Amino acid sequence: MCCTHSFVEVKNEPLSPAVSLDGIKGMKFFDPHVHMTSRTTDDYQAMADAGVVALIEPAFWLGQPRTGIDSFRDYYSSLIGWERFRSSQFGIKHYCTIGLNSREANNEALAEQVMEILPLFVYKEGVVGIGEIGFDDQTPAEEKYYRLQLELAKESGLPVQIHTPHRDKKGGTSRSMDIAIEHGLDPYKVIVDHNNEETVKEVLDRGFWAAFTIYPFTKMGNERMVDIAKQYGSGRIMVNSAADWGISDPLAVPKTAALMKIRGISDADIELITYRNAITAFAQSGQIDEADFAQAGSTIDQSQKFEGNTILRGGQQPRVDKSSIIIS
Amino acid sequence: MTALQSILKVIIRANATPDAMAWLDEERPLNTAFAITPRKTGKAVITVTDEQAHQLTSIAPGFTVDGWAIDRLVRVYLLLKADKGDKEAYFRAIENLFLAAEMGELVALYSALPVLPYPEMWMKRCSEGIRSNIGDVLAAIMYSNPYPSKYLDQNAWNQLVLKAFFTDKEIGKIIGIDTRANKELAYILSDYAHERWAAKREVNLSLWRLVGSFIDDKLFADIKRLFDDGKLVDRQAGALAISASNYQPAKELLNKYPELVTALENKNLSWDTLTGK
Repeated sequence: MCCTHSFVEVKNEPLSPAVSLDGIKGMKFFDPHVHMTSRTTDDYQAMADAGVVALIEPAFWLGQPRTGIDSFRDYYSSLIGWERFRSSQFGIKHYCTIGLNSREANNEALAEQVMEILPLFVYKEGVVGIGEIGFDDQTPAEEKYYRLQLELAKESGLPVQIHTPHRDKKGGTSRSMDIAIEHGLDPYKVIVDHNNEETVKEVLDRGFWAAFTIYPFTKMGNERMVDIAKQYGSGRIMVNSAADWGISDPLAVPKTAALMKIRGISDADIELITYRNAITAFAQSGQIDEADFAQAGSTIDQSQKFEGNTILRGGQQPRVDKSSIIIS
Repeated sequence: MTALQSILKVIIRANATPDAMAWLDEERPLNTAFAITPRKTGKAVITVTDEQAHQLTSIAPGFTVDGWAIDRLVRVYLLLKADKGDKEAYFRAIENLFLAAEMGELVALYSALPVLPYPEMWMKRCSEGIRSNIGDVLAAIMYSNPYPSKYLDQNAWNQLVLKAFFTDKEIGKIIGIDTRANKELAYILSDYAHERWAAKREVNLSLWRLVGSFIDDKLFADIKRLFDDGKLVDRQAGALAISASNYQPAKELLNKYPELVTALENKNLSWDTLTGK
């Protein structure tokens, strides 16, 4: 969950030259945090073209609070249904994490009902964790539902994807980890998200996974990310885009890989940070099979014409020529 | 255990691991078992012997599990194994599975419609499924599934067929596609063809399969267009359509194309050969 910046702060400065993705051609990427329900099919196409083969969509809030349990049910259901299908049309394997986000934990009457339906969803195929959960304002209600969901993670044997707060980030991050350990979770099964220079050391020292969100204005920039990779290496570190309905970039992972390449980070480290580590962490759910990525990718561009009938294999979408003024 | 459950279990046993079989025999709430099935069974495609397939057809005519993955088969089996004594309670239990289903679960649920108890109770659910835009879900309802042709009313059936055309499905795989052809559908499909022509888009040749028996003055104009403006495949589709018609002007038109008449007589031309199935 992202995007608390004020839009008026965005200055109209000239844009820097386009980053060339040539240096990372042929590399595969895994974006372990991206809210695709908020994105267009153009984004899916661009991600597939840039080498993103799989992604995780964490359950979050929708920019405004939900008012009833059925909205939650339909949302969770869309993460394992419609959105998964939409993604497959572009050859990208879609996973999700399921949870009650911290902001909406503050509506306790509704939160109670959400806790009742969560077990229905966490055992579904392709659910790779409980997430994104944790703190926003660090209220007692947030703590209560964070704890309850940690218990659910323990019971279901699923990894946890923790959202760390925007305000009082450092304290909130420490506290999130303290509570996870208090509930007996193995830090190796917990991915602490939205880290920065101030939080990363403690997260790694305590044995958790450290995820970094490359998100303009409010979170990490990828130049800072390169410096972190140089300082901390590639162990238990991963990057994601957390792209959503705010000004964000669904190509953040491949772009960061490209910048790392330019700035001299080894291919092996780039692979760990932008692909392999996320798989290692979330595959502890037993729900990730890399063979599925290859399968999803192999059906790309399989539109075939037979006797005048368009037969699209595997539900693949036909490619649209965006450079043409003609729309047919 | 019903005869159907028995044969399904035989096929499952032949395709599943002993661990998965042991898990299957445990008692647990339907919604949990249904959700975690792939974790227990994997998702390998099953093999079915000729004898098993034959037995299955004799018990549940039209119902087939060919090409299914093991988790889909096991899920259908779980639905049949669930307590169905109380009609209302059974309906609620199954309906709740639909409400929280992911894609694989939806595929299994819709595949099970032809063998679920209280068959007339699922008509609305089937019509709802046709509104899905998820390819695999539509395929589960449309392909090799005897439920829709047997239970859907004409409006819902016509909607299914239209949706199949709109989503580029293989029309020949829809059970009952010819027997449930009707004049209203033929007219709707004719309008659809006109829209496609106006947009300069291709018209699915299978469309004329559903028009043939109802050719009249209006529909004949479309058939004529196939012959006058179309390519060879369009004329072949027109010829096949006319072969199902008693409309005299259409017969006369076809007779102007002796090579098509011959192909029809020799059975060298059929909807299956024309549409590549």
